[in-house]
Amino acid sequence: MSLFLAALRLQLRLAPRSPGTLQVWATAPLFTAVFLSIAEHAHRTDLASFSVVAPTLMGQWALTLGIAGEIIAEERNQGTLEAVIATPGRFSVVVVARILAVSLLGVTTMAEAWLVAGLGFGRWIDVPHPVVLAAALLANAAAMAGTASILSSLFVLMPSARIVQNTLTYPLYLLSGVLVPLSALPAWAGAVGRAVFLSWSADLLRAALDGPAVPRPVTRIAVVALLGLSGYLIGALLLSRVLRRVRRLGTLTHT
Amino acid sequence: MVSTEEYGTARRGASERPADPAAADAIVVEDVGRTFAVRRGRAAGEVTALSGVSLRVARGEVHGLLGPNGAGKTTLCRILTTTLEPTTGSARVLGLDVTRQSRAVRRSIGLVFGGDRGLYGRLSARENLWFWCAMYGLRRSALRARTELLLDRVGLLDRADARVDTFSRGMKQRLHLARGLVGDPRVLILDEPTMGMDPVAALDFRALVAELRAEGRTVLLTTHDMAEAAAVCDRVSLIDRGRLLMTEDTDAVGRLLSGYERVVAHGVSAGLARRVGALTGVVAVRHEADRLEAETERPSATARVLGVLAAAGVHQVSTARPDLAEVYLHLVGRRGMGVT
Ligand SMILES: Nc1ncnc2c1ncn2[C@@H]1O[C@H](COP(=O)(O)OP(=O)(O)OP(=O)(O)O)[C@@H](O)[C@H]1O
Ligand SMILES: [Mg+2]
Repeated sequence: MSLFLAALRLQLRLAPRSPGTLQVWATAPLFTAVFLSIAEHAHRTDLASFSVVAPTLMGQWALTLGIAGEIIAEERNQGTLEAVIATPGRFSVVVVARILAVSLLGVTTMAEAWLVAGLGFGRWIDVPHPVVLAAALLANAAAMAGTASILSSLFVLMPSARIVQNTLTYPLYLLSGVLVPLSALPAWAGAVGRAVFLSWSADLLRAALDGPAVPRPVTRIAVVALLGLSGYLIGALLLSRVLRRVRRLGTLTHT
Repeated sequence: MVSTEEYGTARRGASERPADPAAADAIVVEDVGRTFAVRRGRAAGEVTALSGVSLRVARGEVHGLLGPNGAGKTTLCRILTTTLEPTTGSARVLGLDVTRQSRAVRRSIGLVFGGDRGLYGRLSARENLWFWCAMYGLRRSALRARTELLLDRVGLLDRADARVDTFSRGMKQRLHLARGLVGDPRVLILDEPTMGMDPVAALDFRALVAELRAEGRTVLLTTHDMAEAAAVCDRVSLIDRGRLLMTEDTDAVGRLLSGYERVVAHGVSAGLARRVGALTGVVAVRHEADRLEAETERPSATARVLGVLAAAGVHQVSTARPDLAEVYLHLVGRRGMGVT
């Protein structure tokens, strides 16, 4: 646990100055404005929660994927990777904790989106279920980190990680019901979407902002957490295999 | 090819090191080879970084690994610190196999490398050490206490909160050393630890290595600097083009270093060069145009050469210490062994 916190802290010190973080903070309000304009134009004020949740999740996922792709390349560039690997600490813990730090930072985009809706459109969105909202945001950040850690290890092997990273964003947004509800997608796509943690967290977050009581909040948060945990476990397994491979090939320090 | 293993054993017999090498040796390298696949244009080739390297380092010994660029020093360090697997052969640290018991090996070693890299530049020295302490499982008060102790030990306490980016190379190097000591390792692998240090810092470094030895730690350090090796090491190994040429007590190397000298003079006639070559203690003479290069094996011989040159009115004279390759040639030459 202590290594986890130390790595989280390390990343929190590093992240706010990174250009990726700034870019997301700059674009999240714009996305909110776009979504809200569409909703207002269609007179669908009931979709206001979409306009806050979608930019939050999109910004957060972009940040999370960004750091997942960067961590190892950056460690290689600054020459710390070898030193980290030569310690007894678990590298997968470091990786997931550092990704989590960034996805937690990404939560701030929700505050941004909320402010844009209020200040720009006069829609001050209520938060009728703050506890569910907080728990869902936390579980979602963890699930994002766990899932993105799978990609971190793949990025060790693939120098062209950026392309993979970019092609992975929009399908996920679509399959997770971030942009449009799963029910609006073809049945097969909806079914696939259910296996993605993001669809569960998107539903939860919207439910926490919409009026009526949130059904089965604990179970649904647990599903998000479990999907995230399985992502982390796959990521950790992959990472240990990949590291063994680069030790054998002698490419650990290659940039 | 020189059999280093033989030398190692003979050496150990000569000094008072324990009889059972398996129990006594902190580092055992057995017939290690390492190749890398490389691409040359479109063809796939192979580079041999290490070949048939065997080496034993006793517990508590400070061992120097000397060799020119590309000799394979870093490769051996990487194998011992588990970040690279040997292609052939095996290596053990404190009896633990570096490939099969890598996690246990990592718990008992500390790694330090030279240069600007290997630190989080955007963090302070203190924050760097906190993180590295956490990598070794230290927490809370133990983590903070170890950090302060190490900052103090390497003389960085008053700059502890400055960003590492703003550090001079020597300061970064001291932080590297602190990082290597974070896990309180029994065995330290130092890959060019004095790279970028000024002479004063390099002297401090020697004192630090002496302390580490006094604490009973085993140190393997690589360097290009013969004098540094002579100052801090119990034994040194010479490595070149992936092969370990020999392992030798530092005293012997030190004697060579202080003994052998090279005299270079200009305006020397062929006759004078012949007279210099005939002096006792002069082991080799080269004469080209009017330039003379004489190798001596004793300071008294150097003095004799200088005397003869001065008497003949030659004043463009300089003396120099032999470099690593020359000492190595002297060593090998004296024993009459072939060089590969
Ligand atoms: N990962 C790698 N891939 C390909 N070749 C490598 C790799 N690592 C080392 N080599 C090659 O192996 C040889 C030994 O390199 P090594 O870094 O061990 O030398 P060194 O003794 O540390 O040199 P220096 O004094 O310059 O640090 C060199 O020819 C080098 O190019
Ligand atoms: Mg090297």
